[in-house]
Amino acid sequence: MKRELVALSLAAVMLSSLVMGCGGSSTETASADTAGDTTASEGGYTIATVVKDMSDPWCLRHEEGVKEYAAETGNNCYVKGPAKTDSAEQIQVIEQLISQDIDALCVVPIDPEACAPVLQKARDKGIVVITHEAEGFEACDYDLEAFNNKEYGEAMMDELAKAMNYEGKYVTMVAFLSSVSHNDWMDAAVAHQKEAYPNMELIPEERLECEDNMNMAYEKAKEIIKKYPDIKGFLGASSYDPPGAAKAIDELGMTGQIYAVGTGVASVSGPYLESGSNPCVLCWDPALSGKAMCQLATMVLNGEKDKIQTGLDLGIEGYNSVNVNGTDISGNAILVINKDNMAEYNF
Amino acid sequence: MKGKNLLKKNEFYIVIIIAVLACIIQAISGQFFTSNNLVDLLRSMIVPGMMAAGLFMVIVSGNIDVSFPYTAMLCMFAVTKWFSVINYQGPVFLAFLIAGLIGLVLGLLNGVLAAWLKLPTLIITLGTCTIFLGITQGVLQSSVISVLPAPMAKMAATNLFSVVNGETGLGSSMPVSILFLIAIYLIVGFIMKYTMLGRGIYAVGGDPVAAERAGFNVNFIRIFVFTFMGVVGGITGITQVTVSGMCQINFFDGYEMTIIAAVVLGGANIAGGSGTVIGTFLGVLLMKMISNNLILLGIPTNWSKFMTGILIIAGVSMSAYKSVLAKRRVASNILEDGHKEEA
Repeated sequence: MKRELVALSLAAVMLSSLVMGCGGSSTETASADTAGDTTASEGGYTIATVVKDMSDPWCLRHEEGVKEYAAETGNNCYVKGPAKTDSAEQIQVIEQLISQDIDALCVVPIDPEACAPVLQKARDKGIVVITHEAEGFEACDYDLEAFNNKEYGEAMMDELAKAMNYEGKYVTMVAFLSSVSHNDWMDAAVAHQKEAYPNMELIPEERLECEDNMNMAYEKAKEIIKKYPDIKGFLGASSYDPPGAAKAIDELGMTGQIYAVGTGVASVSGPYLESGSNPCVLCWDPALSGKAMCQLATMVLNGEKDKIQTGLDLGIEGYNSVNVNGTDISGNAILVINKDNMAEYNF
Repeated sequence: MKGKNLLKKNEFYIVIIIAVLACIIQAISGQFFTSNNLVDLLRSMIVPGMMAAGLFMVIVSGNIDVSFPYTAMLCMFAVTKWFSVINYQGPVFLAFLIAGLIGLVLGLLNGVLAAWLKLPTLIITLGTCTIFLGITQGVLQSSVISVLPAPMAKMAATNLFSVVNGETGLGSSMPVSILFLIAIYLIVGFIMKYTMLGRGIYAVGGDPVAAERAGFNVNFIRIFVFTFMGVVGGITGITQVTVSGMCQINFFDGYEMTIIAAVVLGGANIAGGSGTVIGTFLGVLLMKMISNNLILLGIPTNWSKFMTGILIIAGVSMSAYKSVLAKRRVASNILEDGHKEEA
């Protein structure tokens, strides 16, 4: 009897916290809700942006850009997203937004394939859909990339080659062998190396999988250095790869002999930019891409689709002359962060 | 007689597998028996090893816990975040203490639910792990913390000793937290071998009804093993931060499965009632040897998951086969005894 009572009351507590939890998750983006309820000032559009993970400093930087855009243009723009990088949760967030009164939806999909049906539903309702980090995606009006994947891979390789003095062994790292953009970057980087830097050599392991986990990148890098003590470079696609490899380099006492370059942000790679094991890290500023997505959405809503052609100036740094290929748009917004400029990019 | 006992021991077989694997890695890469590689191996065992020691008790008691990586994650993030916010400058010991206490509360929750509701503990801990994850993400607003509070950063930079391999020039250092690993194994070993509580844990895992009749407090034992796991989880969380020098909540992704596999690989019966703490240690060692040496073994990235799976199954089926043999022996003994009585 007593136990039944406990079980029942527990069930009640769980259910009520579930209800509260749902309330909580919407207050979590409080600015969003209050903004969402008031219909924008005359002429303004309501543009919702969905990021990958509201807990990530990267996505918070994205939000900064969107807010700036809202303040500059008077449009009603806000950001929502799941509390963790979870595709199913992100799709739910999108579902909820579609049922509200919005004009455009800017999405950075975690899993583009999984998002396609819900984004198609949004388009069927007449909502303008702009995606990011999903090149070649079809269920959208436009997909905007900060850069062309090939150019980014080549830029990474140029930086690594410079650090390695254009010679020696190297290996590439990705989050998952199934991550499309990561593998595109690395394919381009390796192709570029074969063409431009003949004295560099990709070791037989070719590509390591580190699951976006810095600890795993660290352990794998350590093992590679043991097997190839003469290795000189690591090229990482995930932002956890270069710092993870750099930690291994520093710990094994190889600082200054081995270098890790790749995608990265100052908040995580900072100590290794200082130590020199990350000579530099590359990325793009999510605040700028956030702004550019909103600007693109506004243009589509204004009926200016015919103006969206190669050479278009979105009026945002790095997007002053974009490349348009069907519905794929790319800018030139590669950002190289090194020891000297890291203080400016605090995300 | 003694030799025969040795052959019956599960640990004996694990040691053989470990030795063979070590020789294979050495033969292929020439890098296994180097000072820096051995230090690296021990170092990578600290966090999973501590968790496995706690989980070993839970499994021997006939229960299962899949929430411990989330306990560790919650404690790790909560304490690191809190100390960063208040700019804590005191002794690092307090971080471990607080994390241990939070872990204690979370473990107690698991234990009390398990003892009162008498539901399968897999279901209970599956539920609580989601709650722990939810608290970390929702209430604590989890994010990556790359600049640790000063005392934790200092511990991350402190090493017990460093080795340098003369041949390759590669170095490796042993973090202070290896002492925690040793301490936890000593504590668990002592409890399981020399105390009435330890005997109770084995008894409950073997047959809860018989244990209760024999006078063991089954509910207390259940609550104890989960609470202990919680404390160990909390301490492990902070240990991970001090080993890695940063805090990322996906550090423990997938740990529930690999650690359960390591404990079972170490000879503990997944249904409870048997296993040794030394076996558990060896299980973790074997597990880490497999996962950390795939590159040295020359296994291509595309095949690494496949190989890990194969090696785990091979290891576990070996101990499973042994227990089948043991059961058959018991059965045939009973039959023989029966025959004798008849005769």
